[in-house]
Amino acid sequence: MAIESPVRIPALDYEKEMKRWSQVFKILSEDGPKIEHSPRQLVWRKNKTTLWYYAAEEKKYSTPLFFVYSLLNKPYILDISPETSVIAGLTKRGYDVYLLDWGTPGYEDSDISFDTYILDYLEKGVKRALRHSGEEEISVVGYCLGGTIASIFASITDLPIKNLIVATVPIDFSTGIGPEKWLEGMKNGQFEIDRLVDVYGTIPADYIYYGMKSLAPIYVSPYVGLMSRAHDSKYVERWRRMDKWLNDATPFTGAALKQMFNELYKENKLVKGELVIGGKKADLSKIDCPFFAVSSANDSLIAESQSLPIMDLVSSEDKTYKLVEAGHVSLALSGMFAPLVDEWLASRSTKVEDKTN
Amino acid sequence: MSKEKYDPYKGFRDLTGLWEKQMNSLLMAWADNSEFVKLSNRSMATHSRYMELLKKNQETMANLMNMPTKSDVQNVAKLTIQAEEKIDALEEQIWNLQDSFTEINKGNMEFFGELVSLSKEMKTELEKNAKELRETKKVKADLQKLRKELSDTNVLIAELQELRQGLAETSSLKSELQELKQELAQYQEPKTEAKEEKKELELAGVGLGK
Repeated sequence: MAIESPVRIPALDYEKEMKRWSQVFKILSEDGPKIEHSPRQLVWRKNKTTLWYYAAEEKKYSTPLFFVYSLLNKPYILDISPETSVIAGLTKRGYDVYLLDWGTPGYEDSDISFDTYILDYLEKGVKRALRHSGEEEISVVGYCLGGTIASIFASITDLPIKNLIVATVPIDFSTGIGPEKWLEGMKNGQFEIDRLVDVYGTIPADYIYYGMKSLAPIYVSPYVGLMSRAHDSKYVERWRRMDKWLNDATPFTGAALKQMFNELYKENKLVKGELVIGGKKADLSKIDCPFFAVSSANDSLIAESQSLPIMDLVSSEDKTYKLVEAGHVSLALSGMFAPLVDEWLASRSTKVEDKTN
Repeated sequence: MSKEKYDPYKGFRDLTGLWEKQMNSLLMAWADNSEFVKLSNRSMATHSRYMELLKKNQETMANLMNMPTKSDVQNVAKLTIQAEEKIDALEEQIWNLQDSFTEINKGNMEFFGELVSLSKEMKTELEKNAKELRETKKVKADLQKLRKELSDTNVLIAELQELRQGLAETSSLKSELQELKQELAQYQEPKTEAKEEKKELELAGVGLGK
């Protein structure tokens, strides 16, 4: 006669455990994942900056999209895997996409400021995209600090911008995710970076990486998460891609960092309308095209309060704000940004059939 | 026995998540004061000073050893970037030229188009004129025919007038004849009367003679 144990012992799935540990071993022993991009074409290259063109699978909209990514990370997060790629999501939905990859600045680029980035790289890139597409107007999408750059650009340029979309964008630098006293220290001059920037010229990628890490120095849960779900090969693949991207920071040019620190963080000039780029005042109220801003609710880098003021600053009559349940990275990593953009942009882009008629 | 599989990591994951969050909050709380900011600034300044000194020494040493430094490489790289910028500027100028040529070509094409349409119009007009000329000739021929017919008609009219004249003459003859007839009738009347008188006389004579 069988005796039932009074203590409930759950069964262990040995097969699953074997798979889990073989995957962990694989991650530890293998090289990092190789990022395969969607089919793309090189349009223009200047210094380290590259303009890529991703053709629509079946072109539905004649107005192309121009992506401006942050200066702090690599833009391949927008095209990280075929299933979750934001760019592939948009080309599948019928848009021609251009992506401006800032590249990795070197010591020789230390004097590249926001002025140079916006006027000599972004504006020229948009000009080339317009010429390449043969269209008269273009929609600009800025992600993270790329959104700040895109907004400044839109406020000073004469180029025909049909729509402006910004995601997880820092505009108001008086507030932020970091500790209150740090922000105060930056504003009242207790914390200065000029000397460090001058000596390094271009701030190395590791410093940028650790700078961002300093907002959450203990970083173990992603590894525990990986171990607990290592049996799921799809999850492992996704995790590895994200891990590669997170560890792949970009050096920051000294002039741009000084400008960001002194003019944006310290003096908050963009919100005040006092920022001058290439001799022109970057007044956000000059943005009058249809405008869409997306913020992520669980953002660990950009607070919603940093993005929201732009809604009052732009003078667009057609403006939309959306707060989505996502993180700063997962908005792009999961690919959910593509349907969001398409939903808003579809009715605001010129359709191919309308143009041919 | 329950079919639920045991996941030994779930609890660990949850605990780690909580621990991480709390530790990060604790570290942030420790760092969230002016002293920490000032200390960071001082550390950074010291580090910068040290780096400046190191850089200066490196430059001096490299100069003595006749070796290029990072700054020299930077200068060369900047020249390349400048050359790239010049090429970009040239490219944009070529665009402008291309655009002007396209514009001129477009103008020329429009002009040629207009010329072609004008020639076509002229051709059509010419054909129309030729047709009209043919028709005019035909009309002229018809007119000449008509004129001829008219002259024939005039002859006819003249003949008719002659005839009319003849007819008038005939009428006058007729009236003369009528007059003659009347006169004849008048002449015949006394003769009849005389005849009747003679007859009456004869009739009366007969009676008397017996």
